[in-house]
Amino acid sequence: MLLATLLCYAGFTALCLSMSRHHGELLRSKLSVKRGRLLKVLGWALLCLSLSSALSADGWGLALVQWFAALMASALLLVFLIPFRPRLALILAAAGLLLSPVAAFNQLLV
Amino acid sequence: MKEGFRQAMAWLHTWIGLIFGWLLFAIFLTGTMSYFKAEINRWTHPEIPVRSVPAAASMERAQGYLQQNAAGAPRWFISLPDDREPALEVMWQAPGQEGRRGFMRKSLDPQTGEEIQTRSSMGGEFFYRFHFQLQMPHPWGRWLATAAAMLMFIALITGIITHKKIFKEFFTFRPRKGQRSWLDGHNAIGVLALPFHLMITYSSLVIFMSMVMPASIIASYGDNIQAFYADVFPSTNGAKATGTPAPLTPLMPVLSAAQGQWPDGTVGRIVVNNPGDANATVAVFRSAADSVIHDNGVALIFNGVSGALQTSPTPRSGPMLVSGAMYGLHIGEFAGPLLRWLYFVFGIAGTAMIGTGLVMWLAKRQVKHAKTGVLPLELRLVHVLNVAGMAGLMVAVAAFFWANRLLPVGLAERSDWEINAFFSVWGLTVLHALLRNGRQGWREQLALGAVLFAGLPVLDVVTGGDYLLASLQQGDWVLIGFDLTALVTGVFMAWGATKFRPVAPVVAATADAQSAARKSRQPDIDNGQLEGEVN
Repeated sequence: MLLATLLCYAGFTALCLSMSRHHGELLRSKLSVKRGRLLKVLGWALLCLSLSSALSADGWGLALVQWFAALMASALLLVFLIPFRPRLALILAAAGLLLSPVAAFNQLLV
Repeated sequence: MKEGFRQAMAWLHTWIGLIFGWLLFAIFLTGTMSYFKAEINRWTHPEIPVRSVPAAASMERAQGYLQQNAAGAPRWFISLPDDREPALEVMWQAPGQEGRRGFMRKSLDPQTGEEIQTRSSMGGEFFYRFHFQLQMPHPWGRWLATAAAMLMFIALITGIITHKKIFKEFFTFRPRKGQRSWLDGHNAIGVLALPFHLMITYSSLVIFMSMVMPASIIASYGDNIQAFYADVFPSTNGAKATGTPAPLTPLMPVLSAAQGQWPDGTVGRIVVNNPGDANATVAVFRSAADSVIHDNGVALIFNGVSGALQTSPTPRSGPMLVSGAMYGLHIGEFAGPLLRWLYFVFGIAGTAMIGTGLVMWLAKRQVKHAKTGVLPLELRLVHVLNVAGMAGLMVAVAAFFWANRLLPVGLAERSDWEINAFFSVWGLTVLHALLRNGRQGWREQLALGAVLFAGLPVLDVVTGGDYLLASLQQGDWVLIGFDLTALVTGVFMAWGATKFRPVAPVVAATADAQSAARKSRQPDIDNGQLEGEVN
């Protein structure tokens, strides 16, 4: 569930950054069309990857429940972090991405 | 045309939300608490020790106890201790009595097999029962709760239709902007946890399917509702006693035979039908923690005299699995600690969604009366119900736990007195909200709740410090976890209370915009920006 959560959070952050208003608010720079598209693809890819990692960790019933929980929890965390601790919101996403290979390796071992 | 439809949906959302909001708030809050029903039970019965006793040994103790104390009973129920419920629970039907009244229930120490002398308290069971029975006589509470669930479902659907910018404002929350922030918060909590809200609401309708959606049952079974239940719960259909006595088989080998059938599962409940009779059967149920799909009807049935396996459960049909999954998802018995906490968080999110909606309804209508500062009767009523229905309910919950620790252990009908304390305090908060003015009502009730909740850990240390210490020495986190959760709740309510500081109206508009929105003394609320709710 850890890997799925990390990927969900990073995926939502990418999707959030692909919207010009949030991009400006978080990174204080203008969003180019190309970059926006790239972030959108990245975000959706991470969400898909998170679903597949959840499904590979447990039986599909429990895996789906866990994935939805990870999805909702990470989205709630992100949305309520952005107005109060915008930097932390981004740092968490970066840390999540960096940690995800470790979590993936860990998931393979168990 | 399209806008007309949206407006109609917004109207429905607004008025369902108002009329059933307070009831749904209470249902959601108590339901959220019920995810920790076993943990609340631990705190309200601190006398129950934590033991790790092998299942087989506790089984032997249970059989010994029941043979001594419930020999003539038509049915025994045994729940083995597990991670969350450390006591060995036995229950039996008193001979010659049918229905719910005749049940006796005892908690045993799995190590000694003796009754644990605990204080009498409903504990988490009270909140769990209130969640769907609303402390009303059967079946009215269930009907009302089910009606509320149906309307909650409609409110969710109409809410989605009303919300114009689900994707555009998916990540949007703008704090400190008065009504804007309340709507943002309401939308964000609603949309981001929407899978949970839809699941919990729809599954509640499935759980009470025979009440709300009887058409499918009647279509297949006609008037014979009993046949429907017999199909759903095949294993509780015990054979009649013959009257010929025969010794009951030792239950320990039965248990290990059942465990052999479920190599990766655990045994939950054991039901012995007609113990001591030649026609005795032993039904062994799987623990609800094993699978997302909750099924009360599947059991291994053993012969009660020879101990041989009689019938294995037949595989369930697709629709049964779906309804079992709905049930299982709703009650979350399968969830481990992390997932259980997430369930709790999403439950709070649902509660907060309802609460923010109620606050917004009033805030919008108060704007018109900001100049005079006097509310018309109907708005005043909504205000009183808002304060007592939300802050007051929290105070009443805290009062229940205080009563659990302060009422003398030997008091007659003690568990009823705890419930009386809950409802008396809740009633008093209505009175208080009636008497106090606007912000004061909120501030004082939130502050009282903060003191009561934050005081719970202190009360626990003073009145049950030994139990707390003993559980900590065992490396058990449940009691201290409850205390810490109460503390956090208290701090949160204190924070809420500071938002209602008494301030001059003009200062309120600028310095404390968020709380001013509740009171709506803010002169320039940008109604043009309030998308979504048209009313």
